[in-house]
Amino acid sequence: MGSAISYCSPHHALTAAVCGDDIKLPEYTNLPCPVMYEEITREAYMSLKPEHFEGLRFDISRAVNNKFAMSNRVFMGLIDLPGNSGSVQKQSTGHFDVGANLVDQKGKMDVVLVMRRILSEGRLSAKVKYDVNNRFSIKADAQLTNEPHFTLGMFNFDYKGYDYQARLTMGNNAYYGINYMQSVTPKLSLGGEGIWLGHQRKSSMGLAARYKADTVICTGHVKSEGQINFTYVQRLSDKLSVASDFVYNWNSREANTSMAFDYLIRQCRLRGRVNTNYCTTAYLEEKLTSGLTFLLSAELDHIRKNYKFGFGMTIGD
Amino acid sequence: MAQSTLQKLKNRWAAETRDEEKLASHLRLLRAVGMFAGSVMLMRNFGDLMAV
Repeated sequence: MGSAISYCSPHHALTAAVCGDDIKLPEYTNLPCPVMYEEITREAYMSLKPEHFEGLRFDISRAVNNKFAMSNRVFMGLIDLPGNSGSVQKQSTGHFDVGANLVDQKGKMDVVLVMRRILSEGRLSAKVKYDVNNRFSIKADAQLTNEPHFTLGMFNFDYKGYDYQARLTMGNNAYYGINYMQSVTPKLSLGGEGIWLGHQRKSSMGLAARYKADTVICTGHVKSEGQINFTYVQRLSDKLSVASDFVYNWNSREANTSMAFDYLIRQCRLRGRVNTNYCTTAYLEEKLTSGLTFLLSAELDHIRKNYKFGFGMTIGD
Repeated sequence: MAQSTLQKLKNRWAAETRDEEKLASHLRLLRAVGMFAGSVMLMRNFGDLMAV
């Protein structure tokens, strides 16, 4: 009657015509949908963990039509092998990679197929994502190799609610996982996960929290394997964001903090990081012309005397 | 004779700081926590100076 307060279910709240114009909705119906549990640290690790490499790398991608694209990658460089007494041994490697991407859309939903094949090692990796509807999607990841016991396969079933997201994972070797993320307030979301490894008879669980304000994102993550992780990201301007993360393993008593920045300067993107192990990294992507990107990567580990430099080009978007 | 709480704390502090390995791990943790907190304070208070 008049300006009386009435409550509506979340479904009815979407249509004011059903509930009336002069309603006051309770706070819990206006919560945003949170990110997936695995992606709570996505913004932080964009700055903290760019794709460093050592050696030479060339990526070529070209779109055949609106739905189909081919990609090729050549890599020649060094990989680190663990040596005695913590030293690092390097081994030269090289491989050629062919990829095919297929994207099909029905309205706003995507059907995506991504395939890659590494010729020199005989490994095939494939990813398929299918949106059943705007709330439920299925993903499949597979990695096939010639080596026994290294073939992997995994299915993910994702459900996106009004203010929550859930995922069920099933993989080979009796791997089962489930995670859930719920918005508690407009800025805070909490979640948890459980994993069961059938063959090893092992289980693990984790808890996570994510706080997102206008320019700040904070996350906290605790795992039963003995790891605590905190991240902090602040967007200082449209061109600059800084991030910091803290990782502690109470089993091995190892603690590490990293600080990073992400600069967008005209045609280039510069990311740098320094951590408490006296390791400094930098990653530069410069767009020389449309469709041509120049890459530089450097990592200096002064403690282990391990220095890495990489150079690359990317042709195509 | 039962030890007082203060004595128990003192013994615990001595056990954690006199062992070299434990002391090293505590110092690593302290350094990492201090740098994380310091970097967050630096970003929040002086981050505008870095903005282009």
